[in-house]
Parts: sequence; structure tokens; C-alpha cells
Amino acid sequence: MRWHKRLLVAGVAGAVAMTASACAGGQVRGADRTPKPSATTSDSTVAATKANDATFVYAPNLDVVTDWDPATSYSNEIIAMSNIYEGLTRYNTQSQKPEPRLATEWTSAEGGKQWTFKLRQGVKFHTGASVDAEAAKKAIERTIKMNAGAAYIWGSVKTIETPDPATLKFTLKYAAPLDLIASSGYAAYIYDTAAADKLKDGKTDAGTGPYTIDTWQKGKETELTLKAYEDYWGGWKPEQYKKIAFRVTPEITTAWQLLQKGEVNFVERLNPQLFEQAGATQSVQTSQTPSFQNLLLLFNTATGPMKDVKIRQALQLALDYDGLIAALKGAGRKSTGLVPQGLIGYTANLEPKQDLAKAQELLAEAGYGRDLPELKLKMTYAQGDEDQKLLVTLLSSALKELNVSLEAKPMAWNAQWDQGKKQGQDIFVMYWYPDYADAYSWFLNVFRSADKPQFNLSYLKNAEIDKEIDALPQLTATDRFAAEQSYATLQKQIIQDQAAVAVPYVQTYQRALTADVQGYVDNPAYPNVVFFYDLKPAS
Amino acid sequence: MPRYLVRRLGQAVLVVAGVIVLTFAIMRLVPGDPAVAFAGPKATPEELAAARLRFGLDDAIPVQLWNYIRDLVTGDWGTSLRTRQPVRDDLLLAFPASLELVGTALLLAIAVGIPVGVLAARYKTKFPDFGVRITSMLAVSVPVFWLALALQTVFASNLGWFPIAGEYDSALDTTSPLTLWTNITIVDALITGNWPIFTSTLEHLVLPAVVVAAYPTGVIAQMTRAALIEESGQDHARLERALGFGETSILTRFALRPALNPVLSLIALVFAYAIVNGFLVEAVFNWPGLGRYAVQSISNRDTPAIAGVTLLVAVVYVLANLVVDLLQGVVDPRARAR
Repeated sequence: MRWHKRLLVAGVAGAVAMTASACAGGQVRGADRTPKPSATTSDSTVAATKANDATFVYAPNLDVVTDWDPATSYSNEIIAMSNIYEGLTRYNTQSQKPEPRLATEWTSAEGGKQWTFKLRQGVKFHTGASVDAEAAKKAIERTIKMNAGAAYIWGSVKTIETPDPATLKFTLKYAAPLDLIASSGYAAYIYDTAAADKLKDGKTDAGTGPYTIDTWQKGKETELTLKAYEDYWGGWKPEQYKKIAFRVTPEITTAWQLLQKGEVNFVERLNPQLFEQAGATQSVQTSQTPSFQNLLLLFNTATGPMKDVKIRQALQLALDYDGLIAALKGAGRKSTGLVPQGLIGYTANLEPKQDLAKAQELLAEAGYGRDLPELKLKMTYAQGDEDQKLLVTLLSSALKELNVSLEAKPMAWNAQWDQGKKQGQDIFVMYWYPDYADAYSWFLNVFRSADKPQFNLSYLKNAEIDKEIDALPQLTATDRFAAEQSYATLQKQIIQDQAAVAVPYVQTYQRALTADVQGYVDNPAYPNVVFFYDLKPAS
Repeated sequence: MPRYLVRRLGQAVLVVAGVIVLTFAIMRLVPGDPAVAFAGPKATPEELAAARLRFGLDDAIPVQLWNYIRDLVTGDWGTSLRTRQPVRDDLLLAFPASLELVGTALLLAIAVGIPVGVLAARYKTKFPDFGVRITSMLAVSVPVFWLALALQTVFASNLGWFPIAGEYDSALDTTSPLTLWTNITIVDALITGNWPIFTSTLEHLVLPAVVVAAYPTGVIAQMTRAALIEESGQDHARLERALGFGETSILTRFALRPALNPVLSLIALVFAYAIVNGFLVEAVFNWPGLGRYAVQSISNRDTPAIAGVTLLVAVVYVLANLVVDLLQGVVDPRARAR
């Protein structure tokens, strides 16, 4: 046999073998759960005249779902889950209050240690089961029992009682704002526990939200599609979107091109250049909203040169905050205090300012600065984060003028965190964000004294501050005005008196969406979530 | 032949074993607690301890290595810290799409690279040769990411000749559902006669396949040209000329077969390279292959997943080399004696 014939035979044999080996059985991709195109419009509940048959396409840059269990889910799937599942309440950033969702009203008693929620009537899970107090109790108890993801948010709950099918009564171990906790985007979903074991493969869900799973094809470009849940308690209007698709688009430039062509409707983040371009493109609209995530420069108050409060104050004054905001080109907004706008505890008059002369004076008092010994500082920050890199550049250059050299090391989070827990740096840079709309987490996790610090990476130890932090949950639950006052006082103590931290900016969400979409409101309490139910196409 | 096969298989096993040890060493040398990737960035000490216990991260390093090898041998490639699924399942899901892209690109590279190399050798130092050398040099040296973005912008976004991104039009999942046999979409569409998905996949494949094919086409063309020029200077070529064969005939009928030997070796090398190089192309074109999985695993420090991808690429590399060595034995019996 001639050589090329042998090659051909070998090639064909290989192909046949590969096909045969894989032919254990065929399985249909996506077909089993995908409705016929006309199904949505022909249904009497969902559609009527002028029915919106368009699919709203969200372009996330990462996998859509890694965990389908509403008890343990604690990742990117919040975007999809928030449209499939609901909690008792939902936080409204404008009013800074939780609003009714599955609960229609609620009251607290005994100084925030007892909470009673009245449940909405006539709500059904997507499984067909009715939502009542017993079902809600089972869901929360299962989440607590699973003790994974953000289940810790229910840490204050001692008992849950169901005096009647419409009433859920919580008794807490300590006072806590349970209405805020219940609005969390993680671990606060009410779901049908009877179906909980069947959720793993993403073929079904057990929520009460406006949308239900249509198809989930892990690893595929269009990873997830949702369809309207016809019996949703809120009802449906013809113009609302009934079909949602998540098209995973890791590259920002690709997302931008798809958006311009109208192949996707929503891109969660573009780079500053493309965002500027988006603002000038007729077929695209943009939205900018301050997030609940801010950058913290945690100063080592326990060891090393920064133990001296004067050096910490000098560093706070050395940073060119305005220059940084300008360089971020809209991706960040100047912060004022530790608590971002939209949360209880936001304090308007704590805006930081650069003052090099004052910084130099403070450094000189500490024995460093121009014509004095050089001060050497070690800083760690997130590898691959361009915004933090910008901060490092600006801070290094400002400090150089003051005869302070900054050794800034970009690190992976787990390595940076490991080193931080061992007090291995003078300045630790990290983002902080709450898991639910409550500023308490900045204070409890980042600034409350800890023998073995987890996130208290300024290593601040102050009994007076601890006492005030511990009083915050009860104040938030019972006396909002007093809580606001207490948050303001604490921020002054931590930022000005202790100089344990500098807060250069709050990240801004820069969204781009097709111009034909109406009703989009960014809610920073639910990062990157689009509540599709609120949207409709422009008429 | 069987002795040759056993020797080559033995070498392949040794290489894979080396990669396993190296991968494990790198996983453990990376600073930071891998448990954080599983337990989350805000994990409590208890959650971290539980994750370390679950993945045996507190065991002595030799014990961890032994467990790792034992698990691999029994088909357990570990659990992804990010997706919380078995790494092997994740890879089986992502790899067919990469194979589809790289396989198409390599077929394209061979179909274009070899004839172009013959053309350059036939017209050595003349205009076609000059043109082929310049083009192949460009194809080899242009950054793949840039090329992907440039072709996407021009041919998809501006001219609209091809789709911007994706493997096929996902609306076809509703109208023409695809029955999966091999998990390679284009193959499944072909064997089940699903023409809407087949044509849609072909359309979507063009741009990414051209980008992935650029480098292999360039090197295959260069290598074919060089090998043919060398062969056409051999004694047998002089004899063929004396017997009255034309230059084209000498090159294609007599010189091409021995010249293909180094080209085949090269194809094996560029195959594995193209898979990794294709990661960036996959990202630009939303291709649902290994690239997306690898990139997300790396950014999450998902060490079992990174190790899985590394090992898979190494196995593919070794297998491709093995297949080419065996093919060389078919093409050129002298290879078996070496």
C-alpha cells in the first residue's frame, strides 16, 4: 500500500474510532426544556396584545452559575438567583430601607430581639407548592443548618415560630436589624425545601421569583436562559421581558461589539475608554451608580513604623485623592468616611484631602522626612487590579517627595491575606463590601479588636471603639437616628483619631445597555444584578 | 513495530509522570492558602479549616503527592475549588469545543501551509517565494490576541461578514436541537445531519480558526519549503532531473514524502501549542472551550483546575507526538529503526 493511502486509512480509522468510542448514546442539547418560540406569546396569563417576545440578553464576563443551592450560593449566580428567588424583603437604596417582598409588613419588639413578619398571601413556589410560614421557616432553618456561604447572616436567630400560616416570628439571641438581614442577596432566599435536593443540576428551581430556569448548559456561551414564571404573584404585563439569556463574554471589547450590534442588551462593566465611547453612541445608554464597595488602605497600628499615629496621619494626607479620582475616569468616586452612600451610617463631611505640607510636618515630628532619615514602608495590594496599581503609582510618587519609599507588592488575594494575618506589611490594601445592606460589617469585621485578626488588618485594638461597634445592631434595629450618630462618631474615631485607615474611593458601577431598554435602576445592594421584571422595551 | 510502539509508549508515560510531579510542585509552591479559593474571600477560620481538611491540605507534602497520584490513576482529577465539580467533568465539558477549534485550525494550516510551502520551494528566491516568506513570517510573529481583535472588528463588526462571537447561533437550540454524540458540535451536527447548526458552526468557526491557524500555517509553510529545498538537492533529485522529470513533479512526487517527516513532527508540536495559544482566541470569540475555564481557574487560584488543564494539555501534547511518531513510521520506515 502506498504511503499516502496508509495515511488516509489511518486517519479514517482514527476518526471512526473516535466517533464510535463517543457513541455511547446521544443526548439532545437544550431541547428538553426549551419552549417553542410561540409558547410565551400564546399563553393567556403572560401574553396579550403587544406582547414582548424579545429575549433580554445579559453579557456577564464570568460563568453564570457555580452553585444552584439557594442556601449556599455565594458567588456570581446572585445575578440569576435574584430573579428566580426572593427573600422576605428587598433593600431600596434610595429610601435606605428594606421594602416588602415575600413579607408585606413586619415589626420588631423587645429592643430588636423579636421580629414578626407577615407573609404575602397566594404566593406559590415554582414547584407548585404554596408559600406559608412553615415553608419559609424550613427554608431559613435549612440555610442555617447548611452553614455555608453567607449563612452566618442568620447568626442572631435563636428560634423561628409560626403562630399562623401567614406569620413568621423570630426570637434573636441579640438585637439585630432582621429586616435588613432578610434583604440580603445571599442566603436569605425563601425556597421550597422539599425540592432542595433536586436543584444541583440546574434543571429545576424552587424559588418564588418572576423567572424560572429554562435551560442551563454549563460551560456554553449562552449558559443560562430563564423564562417567565406564569403564576408569579406580581402578575405580568405584556411589555415585560419574558425570556432572559446569559451570554458569557469574557472580553470587554467583544461585549462592546455585541452591544453595539444589539446582540446583547446589558454589559456590566466596560473599560473607561469604551465606557466613554458608549456614552456617545446613539444605540447605547449608560448608567453610573456608586457601589457599596470601597477601597481601604489599612495601616498597621500594631507594629513597625506605622505604630506611630503621626505617620499614619501623614500618609492619609499624602495621597492625591482628586488626582486618583481623575485618573480612574469615572470608575471610582471620592469617598467620605467608611460607609458608602445609600447605607445607614453614610456621613457626608469626612471627605479626605491631600495636604503635603501638613504631612511633612507630621513626618518630621515622627523623626522622618526631608533632611531626616528615610522612612521605608511595605505595602501589599491586589495583583491584576489596574485601579489599585494607579493608587500605588500616585501614592509612591507623593511619598517620594517626603523622603518615604514605598515597597508595593502586588499579590494574589490568598497570599496577601495570609501575609496580612501575620502582620507582614505596613499597609494592606483591599476592597470591602457588605453581604447585605448594612454598614455594620465594615466595623465588626475590619475594625473590631481580634486576637487572631481575620480582616482587622490594621490590627486596631480599642475597647471603647469595640463597645460602640457592639451597640450598632441594636441601634439600627430600634433607633435609626441614634445609629446614624453612632456610625458618624465611630468613623471619626477610626479615621481621624486613630488614623487606622485611608479610604480613597468608592467604586462606581459603569453599566452599558441598549438604548431600547427602559426601567433599569442599579441597586448596589445586589451587585451586578439586573431585576429583569422591572424592564421593558421602549415603545 | 510493536517494540517501537512499546518504547514510545514508555517514553510518553515517563513524560506524563514528570508533568504530574512538576504540576503538583508548582501547586504547592504558589504562596497563599488554596483553601481560600474554595471557602471564599471572606471565609471564617472554621470554614478555611474545613476546606483544608476536605482537600487534605494539612497533610505532609509527600502524602499529598501520593494521594494526588493515586487519585489521578483512579480517574479522580480532584475537585475544582471554584466550580466545586470534579475537574475531570469540567474538562470533558470544555475540551471538545477547544478540540473543535484547534482541529479545524490545524486542518486549515495543513491544507494551506503545505501547498504554500511547495509553491515557495518551487519558485525559490522568486516573487512567490518572497511573498510566502513575508506572509508566513507575519503570520508567525503577529500577536494572536491582536489578530483576533483586528479580524473580529473588521470582518465581523464592521463588514458583518461573520458573526462577532460564539460557537453557533444559540436560537438554534430551540428550532434545531442538536443530539450530542461526541460533544464536538460540528462533528455531532454532521453525523446527525443537523445542517442549520452545522452551517452556523462553520460560519462561527471561520474567524477564530483563521486566527488560531495563523501561527501553524506560517511554520508549516516555512518548514515544508526548507525541507523540500533540502530534498531537491539530494542525489535522488539529480537522478530524477536526469530522467527528465520537471521541477514540480520532482517536488510533489519524490521530495514531498521524505520532506513531510519534519513537518509531521512540527504539526505535533504546534497542536499542543495551538491549544494553549487558542485560550486567548477563545476569550475574544466567546468560544466555550478550555480557555474560559483556564482563565477563570487562574484568576481564582483554583489549583486543582489549573493542574487539570496543565495535565490535559501535557497528555494531548504527548499523545500528539506519539501519533506523529507512529505516522512517521508508516510514512518512512527508517523512522522505526531510529
